[in-house]
Amino acid sequence: MLPIVAYTDKLTVAPGESLTVMAGSFGAREYRADLRRIIQGDTNPDGPGYRDEVVQLDLGGVRPAVRKGFHPGSCVIVPGRGMLAGLKDFTLAAVMQPTLLDGRERSVIALPGFARIGIDENDRVFAEAMGQRLVARSRIVAGHWHIVSLSFSTKEQHLILTVSNEDDAASEDLLPENVVAHAEVAVCSADEILIAATRGDDGRPTGFFDGKIDRPALFEAVMPHDVLRRLLADFTRLSRMRHLRAAWDFSRSMTTQTICDISPFQLHGKIHNAPARAMTGWIWRGQELDWKKRPDLYSAIHFHSTDVYDVAWEPDFTFVLPQDLKSGVYAVRLVPDGDEEASYYCVFALRPPRERPTGNTVAFLFPTCSYLAYANHRLGMDVPGTEIGMGRAVELDRHHMFLQTNPGIGFSVYETHDDGSGVFHTSRLRPIVDLQPKVKSFLGGFGSNVWQFNADTHILGWLDAIGQEYDVITDEDLHAEGLQLLSRYNVIITGTHPEYHTHNMIAALQGFTDRGGRLMYLGGNGFYWVVSFNEDMPGIMECRRSEAGIRPWEPGHGQFYHAFTGEYGGLWRRNGRPPNHLCGVGMTSQGFDICEPYYLMPAANNDRAAFIFEGVSTSDKIGDFGLAGGGAAGLEVDRADASQGTPAHALVLASSTRHTDIYLMTPEDLLDPTPDWSGTQAEIIRADLTFFETPGGGAVFSTGSIAWAGSMAWNRYDNEIAQITSNVLRRFNDPQAFTMPEASEKGR
Amino acid sequence: MAPPGNSLRVFPMSRYRIDASDLQFASEFLANPVGYHSPGLQRVLNRMRGAAWAYKYVLVIEERHARWRLGKMPAKRGSAIEIVEGVVYTDLIEAERDIFRRRWRDLTGQDIDHALFKAQTGN
Repeated sequence: MLPIVAYTDKLTVAPGESLTVMAGSFGAREYRADLRRIIQGDTNPDGPGYRDEVVQLDLGGVRPAVRKGFHPGSCVIVPGRGMLAGLKDFTLAAVMQPTLLDGRERSVIALPGFARIGIDENDRVFAEAMGQRLVARSRIVAGHWHIVSLSFSTKEQHLILTVSNEDDAASEDLLPENVVAHAEVAVCSADEILIAATRGDDGRPTGFFDGKIDRPALFEAVMPHDVLRRLLADFTRLSRMRHLRAAWDFSRSMTTQTICDISPFQLHGKIHNAPARAMTGWIWRGQELDWKKRPDLYSAIHFHSTDVYDVAWEPDFTFVLPQDLKSGVYAVRLVPDGDEEASYYCVFALRPPRERPTGNTVAFLFPTCSYLAYANHRLGMDVPGTEIGMGRAVELDRHHMFLQTNPGIGFSVYETHDDGSGVFHTSRLRPIVDLQPKVKSFLGGFGSNVWQFNADTHILGWLDAIGQEYDVITDEDLHAEGLQLLSRYNVIITGTHPEYHTHNMIAALQGFTDRGGRLMYLGGNGFYWVVSFNEDMPGIMECRRSEAGIRPWEPGHGQFYHAFTGEYGGLWRRNGRPPNHLCGVGMTSQGFDICEPYYLMPAANNDRAAFIFEGVSTSDKIGDFGLAGGGAAGLEVDRADASQGTPAHALVLASSTRHTDIYLMTPEDLLDPTPDWSGTQAEIIRADLTFFETPGGGAVFSTGSIAWAGSMAWNRYDNEIAQITSNVLRRFNDPQAFTMPEASEKGR
Repeated sequence: MAPPGNSLRVFPMSRYRIDASDLQFASEFLANPVGYHSPGLQRVLNRMRGAAWAYKYVLVIEERHARWRLGKMPAKRGSAIEIVEGVVYTDLIEAERDIFRRRWRDLTGQDIDHALFKAQTGN
């Protein structure tokens, strides 16, 4: 378990800028902090050994460790601005589709302290107002749309709760259920409206709803259910209805946190904890699949009691990064109660100064999008088949035990919410317990079993071992600054598994190689999924896994376009930017047990590739060793494929020639499943070591394998895989332009 | 039910039943727990490692790369992981063999070593 966890307000910071640390106690009484540069994070005794170095910077002495906790759950909060006080007759209404009914009371819409509609622990709709509680007789059904309303008539002095199931046969008249109770007039004391939650005694939202809510509304009159139903179906008529006090069209300002009231009162609100917007609503029947074309059909929000955006912990301390500190990967290390073994590492990138190049011509692209995608992932805990993919038992490290005990920390985009729907959002404004050195993972192969950040430290360690000066830039920096930032460098080096990219990032990298830049893609399954940032919500990322790809869930019918940007979610290869075009190879298979060597192909003897194998004495195979599964080719592997955009002149220098039968075909290529698409049988399941030049004088070297870096680190970086990588780096860092091969050379 | 418009993940439940005809694959596994397996052994392992949560053994790290406890993973997210008392591994391959033996017993009611001995000797 982890006695203390923490996060910083940014994952990338420049010298001279400040960084704020938020720490939360899970048992620790106090802690002290120091700053460390991370050099090599893998603790495998067969590896080069863990290394960091302390930075002499006073981060203050011992501080108390304060318990802060997690408070997941999304909703909409609408400040009343004093406009609810005069309510007498009223109707509170919403269209809702619950997706999880599990014996817990939930709120659909609430004027806290005055009136509320919800679902009770017996799956029955209830309403509360004026000291009365009304409960419908029939149980509601998950997955069905219902219209619920609560009205009060001062004249009749009665409350009416009405529920209709909108999924009844369309040709039949609806038979709403009414529950009526006598009630005395009461003054509305509420000065806010909460949708999908209510306000708890501790002042926090509580009673979170799992499911969709569409077009909630408040009227200052009693609305007969059939009139209400007709009005809710037509936003234009609804907005002119003279008894309307507020009605929220969730399809307005879709890409922001703002919730728009379409009434003249403009009682606007805001989402809390980033529920999913741009979701099919009550009147969606497949008329359109792109919310940008018919936003009115996408007027639902899918709320989850497990949504998390910003855990909003109180800051513990802020410090300034020294101007003379070199760019690199650093961590604020928190040592709880003097126990160094229990230290927590808040990892971040110290990027180069914003206005001034450092003079370094090599940059490591710190893949924060991929770290965010996997942040706090639970694949080995939530998904039974992970063990089949690993080919051995799941190992649970201390941070996994913490995740099991604290699901409220929020999920990665590999999980499903408790209602079974996919997690679209992941955020850095919370502790990311697997973004630490030393930690083991599920998918890193027999051996070190490290993944993402900790696996990437094999590359950082190698750069240190060969004495290469380098800058570290992050995905967020690349997204924001594009090619202008990349133009400082001759060479960009990727991590082991740079799987997630925004459009800005992939366009900048393509522009870089087009204009003479050199890309060393030292990983596998890179440039695979489309992700988006949100300009109104810093630190959160969206991923909708549409149509294909190896994926833990689908976004649901009609919900394939991202809410944050309107981009079509899914694979970059379905969005006009196949990874093969950028780096020569694209995802072909995965297996997380053991890895294989590459065998040299005839192209390895091509003069164009001579610099790559300089000083490498090998007959036919390379990389028959490594910390990741015992070979350089494996875990996730990419193939060269002209049909997917691999340039015709690309050289496939070496390939793996077999894998275990845990390695199967990706679904995007497995159009007709037959039992021969496995690692011992299908030639298409391989890693292709690939090199090509670009017309602008640039070049690309791709390993097509996550395991490559685990072999670089073998024998303290003294081996042919490290040698090949160093050879490529040396030539790539030479500004002399690469030349395209003559036409006659192409394809050899 | 799967709510329309929302995707619920489906895990395959195994219909394969392990019996005495799989003893050859047990021998194969015990000789080489990690790496290339015959299709028959892979099918046995898929049964053992798949969606049947009653048999979801996990290795809880006490000391990385050195020491593991045997745990049982609960099906419900957030529930406590049960530690099997008295079981400590210092070698991952041995841990694999032990988990295989436990699962064989869980799924067939038989002791694998006894069954193998019996098959070899006829006793």
